[in-house]
Amino acid sequence: MSGSLVHNLVRRLAYAFISIVGVAALVFVLLRMVPGNPVATLLGEHADNETVERISSSLGLDQPLPVQFANYVLGALHGDFGESYTLGKPVSELIGPAFLNTLWLAIAAALVAWVVGIACGLLAAIRKGTVVDRLFMGFSLLGVSLPVFMVAMLLQYLFARYLHWLPVAGITDWTGYILPAIALGWGSAGSIARLVRSSVIEVLQQDYIDTARAKGRTNTQVLVLHALRNAMLPVITLMAMQFSGLLSGAVITETIFSINGIGRLSVQAIAGRDIPLLQGTTLLCTFVIVMGNLVADLLYNVCDPRVRKGA
Amino acid sequence: MTHSTLEVSHLYTSFFTEHGEVRAVQDVSLAVGRGQVVGIVGESGCGKSMVARSVMGLVRKPGKIVSGRILLKGRELTSLSEQELCTIRGRDISMVFQEPMTSLNPTMRVGRQVQEVVTIHEDVPKQEARRRALEALGAVGIPEVEARYDAYPHELSGGLRQRVMIAMAMVMRPRLLIADEPTTALDATVETQIIALIKQLAETGTSVLIISHNLGVIAQLADYVYVMYAGRVVERASVLDLFDHPLHPYTRGLLGAVSSLRGQSKTLQTIPGVVPNLAHLPAGCSFAPRCDRCVARCASEQPELVTVGSGHEVRCHLAKGADAV
Ligand SMILES: Nc1ncnc2c1ncn2[C@@H]1O[C@H](COP(=O)(O)OP(=O)(O)O)[C@@H](O)[C@H]1O
Ligand SMILES: [Mg+2]
Repeated sequence: MSGSLVHNLVRRLAYAFISIVGVAALVFVLLRMVPGNPVATLLGEHADNETVERISSSLGLDQPLPVQFANYVLGALHGDFGESYTLGKPVSELIGPAFLNTLWLAIAAALVAWVVGIACGLLAAIRKGTVVDRLFMGFSLLGVSLPVFMVAMLLQYLFARYLHWLPVAGITDWTGYILPAIALGWGSAGSIARLVRSSVIEVLQQDYIDTARAKGRTNTQVLVLHALRNAMLPVITLMAMQFSGLLSGAVITETIFSINGIGRLSVQAIAGRDIPLLQGTTLLCTFVIVMGNLVADLLYNVCDPRVRKGA
Repeated sequence: MTHSTLEVSHLYTSFFTEHGEVRAVQDVSLAVGRGQVVGIVGESGCGKSMVARSVMGLVRKPGKIVSGRILLKGRELTSLSEQELCTIRGRDISMVFQEPMTSLNPTMRVGRQVQEVVTIHEDVPKQEARRRALEALGAVGIPEVEARYDAYPHELSGGLRQRVMIAMAMVMRPRLLIADEPTTALDATVETQIIALIKQLAETGTSVLIISHNLGVIAQLADYVYVMYAGRVVERASVLDLFDHPLHPYTRGLLGAVSSLRGQSKTLQTIPGVVPNLAHLPAGCSFAPRCDRCVARCASEQPELVTVGSGHEVRCHLAKGADAV
């Protein structure tokens, strides 16, 4: 019933909210447990104690931790994540454009991963045991096991430095996204291909596939109309979870290809001990991952009538 | 000359596995006349389903039909292309499988799964296909068809699902319905209802090939019975003949199991031993190792199927000259 679907949604949203607040608190505490005063670092070696204390108190750093956290959460609820120590701008203004860049990269990488992964997995499944199957599965193993930076540098070397087809790094137009998207999506494509393959093979063994053939469906129709939807159920979940992974885990790709995204911003924040900025990017990534899991769950619910009802 | 609805002759179907050739069906010949109900009975693993799948052209790899002829209304099926077979499956022959729980697509509404059969074979408007699906669902005794049409399989009971399967099989009014253990997964009450439904279908002129390991089910439905053992037909007779004069020791064993149930004896009498490995069949009669009347010849020489009376055939060395056993 739709009643239980709504109930389900509310419960999951509550869990999601609790997860985000929990992670925020954890990050908040951890960042303040790092030895040394960030203000002292910020002002340099020659700052006198008085100045450090004055600035600390103006930033609210002299207050007890729970109070600081409460202030932070209150601010965050209004979109105020504090001001970056190193860049002198509100964190929200820095994160916005960076997130957009990361979003484009993640979408491009997801497209690569989904199209390549699903196509290869499907082909391998229907050509099970043939050369095509072994070739694709070998490739996907490479995809899963090669580190991103290696794929990235190989691509840069081949398509940018050697063939001069695409820019080496930096984004001036959409072509700048091609190589980073492949580098980032490559590994996901490999795991999607493997899952699609095993899932399709398993579904094709099911009794209802015989039923569909007994009705007079051709093999292609059976695959498209009966096997695919059922085989995609576990894959959809993986894709949704991977997408949040692509959004929050593009640090290496963004660095190698000089894309001003969240990953790169986080690295900058760590280097500069920029606590508000790092807190902001971490919180954003947490949000993205929790939402990704939520969407994965809901998608599964929508696609599989068997879980739609109960649970 | 008029043809039987289905004529299978000298069918051999094998699985080519790494452990060698598994001879699932060997030299099976059978005929189903118009409006007739013919049963195949035998223990699990005797090749009954493989006969059915061979007729449907649905033998899965690594299995394949090795030789033999399958005629549907005189038309040879074994030489047809996959594409041609697709126009026959679901329209001229249809099949109901053993497991109603897993034989329906779990993510498709049951009504659409019935309607689909119509749209595969006929170029009709969607409304018309839907109307015929509803009609078929009603004809198999599904209550509140309009509401059930939009149900998913998991929302229906096993009995209702099997009715949906039968509706799906009957919506095109095929010449031949193959029902492979249609009641094995169901409880006794539902079994009785499904048997009555199949009987009713046969009365409207559909030929039925009913497969079961349960002689009781066969007795209620079939006109003729083929008893299969280890891939071969070991006896063939009308239902009355088979129950009155079973000739093959295997048939007697199966009947013993049934009558001991009827007589409510506490222990279910079964035939001792198991079906032999179909990849390594004994040289002589496949039943010899389990047979209590086995003689020397049985172990060395494969018996032929011989006619012992009108329409009664048996594959046993001891049965020559009718009631010599
Ligand atoms: N995929 C397979 N690979 C190898 N042998 C198989 C396979 N499927 C079925 N068989 C063989 O075919 C025999 C007959 O199976 P089946 O027709 O399903 O028996 P029944 O329907 O009488 O229970 C089995 O005993 C088994 O040895
Ligand atoms: Mg069977």
